[in-house]
Amino acid sequence: MSPIRIRAVMHRHWIVLRRAPHRWFEISFWPVMDVLLWGSVGAYIKHQTPGSQAATPFLLAGIVLFWTFTQAQFSIALGVNEETWTRNILNVLTTPVTELEYIVGIALFGLLKLALCMLTLTVATIAFFGFDLSQVGWAVIPIMLLLLINGWALAMMVVGLVLRFGQSAEILIWGFNYMLMAFSGVFVPSNSLPRGLRTVARQLPTTRAFAALRAVLGGHPLPWGTLGISLVGSLMFFAGAIAFASWLLSIFRKRGFVTRYS
Amino acid sequence: MESVVAARALTKRFRDRTAVDNLDLIIGPGDRVGLLGPNGAGKTTTLLMLLGAISPDAGTIELAGFRLPHHRSKALGHVGFVAGYLPLPENLKVREALTIFAGFYGIRRPTRIIETAIERFGIGHLADQQSRELSSGQRTLVSIVKSTLHEPRLLVLDEPTASLDPDVAGRVRTALLDIHGEYGTTLLVTSHNMREVETLCERVVIIARGAVAADGSPAEVAASFDTDDLESAFLEIAARSRARGGAEDHPGALQ
Repeated sequence: MSPIRIRAVMHRHWIVLRRAPHRWFEISFWPVMDVLLWGSVGAYIKHQTPGSQAATPFLLAGIVLFWTFTQAQFSIALGVNEETWTRNILNVLTTPVTELEYIVGIALFGLLKLALCMLTLTVATIAFFGFDLSQVGWAVIPIMLLLLINGWALAMMVVGLVLRFGQSAEILIWGFNYMLMAFSGVFVPSNSLPRGLRTVARQLPTTRAFAALRAVLGGHPLPWGTLGISLVGSLMFFAGAIAFASWLLSIFRKRGFVTRYS
Repeated sequence: MESVVAARALTKRFRDRTAVDNLDLIIGPGDRVGLLGPNGAGKTTTLLMLLGAISPDAGTIELAGFRLPHHRSKALGHVGFVAGYLPLPENLKVREALTIFAGFYGIRRPTRIIETAIERFGIGHLADQQSRELSSGQRTLVSIVKSTLHEPRLLVLDEPTASLDPDVAGRVRTALLDIHGEYGTTLLVTSHNMREVETLCERVVIIARGAVAADGSPAEVAASFDTDDLESAFLEIAARSRARGGAEDHPGALQ
């Protein structure tokens, strides 16, 4: 891997972010709207149900950490899609940049976007609802790492599908994201889901990550066992997603799909 | 001397159509080669296989001594690619695009190289323009600059002067010949402009139905078909290809 080429990928996406105001929506507008939505739901529950003061922190912590997952996913999936939207894929494919270097470049740049997003979320949760996630302490770090791994893995899957099926598959970037949000028990335990779906939800490594978050918020110690199972699942998902994306990339090259974007 | 392009027995099928059929193409250092053929003959498919963007079904490819696909990255470090139909990335100014592509080519400190190239090609007035604001001719010139920053041994050009007016097309040809003269860069060019090919290339390879139909200097190819010039030879080959149920505009071929 060449650090120069990885840096060039990051530079390319930094300029895209700087020049395109709508790209800032993913970092600022949508996260703030989510904070307002879920924070107000929490405030309403607290008002309606005396004794449920914890609703707001649970909902806000859930949405803040879910944005970790979303930013990790979007950074890679939208990063690759940027090249399809601007018909730049062939330009990139005919340079020495490898697929791995490209993905590493956009994932690293995604960490910068994640940091900006977290800053926005922290300011918004404190300003609007007086909730500061950093008060939870270092326990959120391993949970965030798990969500990062899962976000990157989902992005690899989606990128593979977009390369294979073309731009009509782009909708999966947002579709899978919201599906994972519904199934992972981001705000409430997964056993609140309809009975038939609970089994599916329990298999997801993200479900265990959010369960660990709720445990910590509930004043319990970090459940390392739950996190360990989630880590194993996350790594399996990550490895499977890379294999899946590599397979679809080989089909992309074999069937000459690059000409869709030239 | 080691060849810059060594493609042997290249074959590519799209569904039931054979786009490239057992094609051999060996190109030496400093050669100027035109790859010609009717629409759908397999030119772009061949170029994209040579660049590693499409996998062949059979055959082997070596670029600058590096075997594809395993050494694709190293091989492409010696190759530049320009296509008349490809835009530069939007949202980037020309200088920014050049800086980023210099990075893609692994150039550690690109500023001086870029400024020299901008001056050399006379595109200083474009350097701070947005890529999307460029005309076709300006875009092609910038693409050539972009693809030669790393002084490649091989420059692959897919219809570089398509849709350009004669004046701009002439400047592009001059720029290409200058690059060849100065660095000994091998040129592999596809074009439908036979006069351009005669000016630019010392060797032409005409493919029809995915296979080599003629290979030699423009004069040799014309003579081999009892014609006066390359264009007449091309028309003769296209007519024979059509008569044999040729590949013109067939849906499985890449245009």
